[in-house]
Amino acid sequence: MADELLEVENLRTQFDTDEGTVHAVDGVDFSVGRDETVCIVGESGSGKTVASESVTKLIRMPPGRIDADAVRFDGTDIYSMSEKQLRQVRGRRISNIFQNPQGALNPVYTVGWQIVEAVQMHSEKSDREARERAVELLDRVGLPNPGTAVDEYPHELSGGQKQRVIIAMALASEPDLLIADEPTTALDVTIQAQILDLIREIQEDYGMSVLFITHDLGVVAEIADRVVVMYAGKVMEKGDVYSIFENPSHPYTKALLNCLPGHGDLMGRIGGSLPSPLDPPDGCRFADRCDYVREECRQGEQPPLHELDGTDHRVSCVYYAPGADPSPLQGDADGQGSNVYSDGGYPDE
Amino acid sequence: MSFKTYVAQRLLWTVFATFIIVSITFLLLAASPNAQVSQFAFEAAQNPGTSAEEAREAARQRLGTNQPLWERYTEYMINMFTLNWGYSQSGGGQLVTERILNALPYTALYSVPTTILSVIIGVSIGLYSATNQYSRFDYAATFFAFFGYAIPNFWFGIILLVIFGAWLGWVPIIFQPDVPWLSFEMLKQLILPVIVLVTAQTTGLMRYSRAEALEYVEAEFLKTAKAKGVSSYRVITRHIFRPAAVPLMTILISDLLGLFIASSLLVEVVFSIPGLGRLTFNAILQQDTPLVLSTTLVGVMIAVFGNLLQDISYTVLDPRISYDSRE
Repeated sequence: MADELLEVENLRTQFDTDEGTVHAVDGVDFSVGRDETVCIVGESGSGKTVASESVTKLIRMPPGRIDADAVRFDGTDIYSMSEKQLRQVRGRRISNIFQNPQGALNPVYTVGWQIVEAVQMHSEKSDREARERAVELLDRVGLPNPGTAVDEYPHELSGGQKQRVIIAMALASEPDLLIADEPTTALDVTIQAQILDLIREIQEDYGMSVLFITHDLGVVAEIADRVVVMYAGKVMEKGDVYSIFENPSHPYTKALLNCLPGHGDLMGRIGGSLPSPLDPPDGCRFADRCDYVREECRQGEQPPLHELDGTDHRVSCVYYAPGADPSPLQGDADGQGSNVYSDGGYPDE
Repeated sequence: MSFKTYVAQRLLWTVFATFIIVSITFLLLAASPNAQVSQFAFEAAQNPGTSAEEAREAARQRLGTNQPLWERYTEYMINMFTLNWGYSQSGGGQLVTERILNALPYTALYSVPTTILSVIIGVSIGLYSATNQYSRFDYAATFFAFFGYAIPNFWFGIILLVIFGAWLGWVPIIFQPDVPWLSFEMLKQLILPVIVLVTAQTTGLMRYSRAEALEYVEAEFLKTAKAKGVSSYRVITRHIFRPAAVPLMTILISDLLGLFIASSLLVEVVFSIPGLGRLTFNAILQQDTPLVLSTTLVGVMIAVFGNLLQDISYTVLDPRISYDSRE
């Protein structure tokens, strides 16, 4: 794996709250290669957003605490950097776009001011040059009338337009890695497709890597090269996108895929809810909602990520331990069990 | 509507509001018994030959209160708006406007530094507290804020005077108005009143700016700013302070009003500063109606124009407030 751009090893992000310590991300590994798109998938509360924001330490500390064995970016450990050095990485080499475009822009500044700030943060451009660059960026992300839009305030733009502005801001210094946290979730379906296309386009133009966070497996199928499935702060399964979709191995991944409309005969839903992040149970985090749960699933730690047939596809499930027999899971490839039931309803979270 | 029309409209409204206030003041005065007329009547009753009623009539004629209400009102309004505010009854025949103009600089002498200091100190401590919520600094600031809030100005002033004026003798106990303005002596005698007022003003501003800033501390756009590589100092000054400044303006204006109308009175009396506050205080004691009326109107003017400034600053600071919706 010499060509990884970002490597995250054993990332742990916790929040101190009045009720106790929330283990939002609890020992997660993932990596993003050059020019590659990696998707982190999981339901709400699985820790995927926190994991993505932990990369450049955007989490508020306190109450947050971030720790990792290593977070290497382009060969350097960015977690051993000073705050000042890390600021040189943020926005310049790693950019973020966020879930909610309504809240991600400062309401009292013009769109142009906010892009100019991003431009001048990492360049010596004069005000006029930075403004020209802002107009150019707005044009690039497909905002109509960039010359006038640059002087508009966020409340004068629609949600999709705001998201374009945020993408323009993220592109200001032509970063190597774009971390996109559910950038389409808060938008209309028609706009979603446009924004997704835009991200794909600029990825090709700029030769960027993308770490894409989503709960939407349809989006994953469209854009991902590799997939990381997260559940309750842990990685359940990861691998090549084809491998994941054709051969989902973890019961959780199977159940997730089963929730996709048009997959299988009936749409399924996963019963139960996430375990408490305050006091995670022993063993596999998914055990309580799993149809194939055995005694050993509830003991010790989350199972290690076992290799599947010597490939990159790895699964954190006792059924795939060396010498174990995974056939009980395969016998029910659709994931239609007693707990994962099908009633034709929509997944309700 | 353009910004200019908006400002013009607000200005017109301000003039109208002033007009109403001055008119109501006139009606209240016209309805209340005139102390001077009674005084004349009392004196006349002691001299044989003139009846009390005749004396009263003579006094009314002298004061002009025997004319029809409408004529009196017109004359009063013209006088008020041409700053012809009459003669002070207690100040040896001085013009009311003259007395106010003489007192005003002394009020400015301590209130200008007080305002500047308390805004700078209050807002910066508040912002720091908000971004470091529940830290030791935040707790200390909160304690100081409640201390400053709870302590009455005049009492704090007296205590400081006793300690630093009487016991230690570091500062004069009686304010010397004839000391040159830009001198060490002036600084020495201003230090205590400024400390007293800054303590009171800062605490309020500190709490308000902390509360306003807390609204934005967890805002998503701060994450955007941080992701751009913006330093935490710049995040506080540009991304938190700027949106928080909008509601803070309101508090600032009302705080300043409080300073002029209430605090100045107490502090000037305690420190014997011959400013507006003490002028008002003495005018009330001596029942100097024209002077009381005028000093009250000065407060009203400050309030009305303060509100005008606030309205304008609101629209300048917050682009989401449109001119049209505030007609």
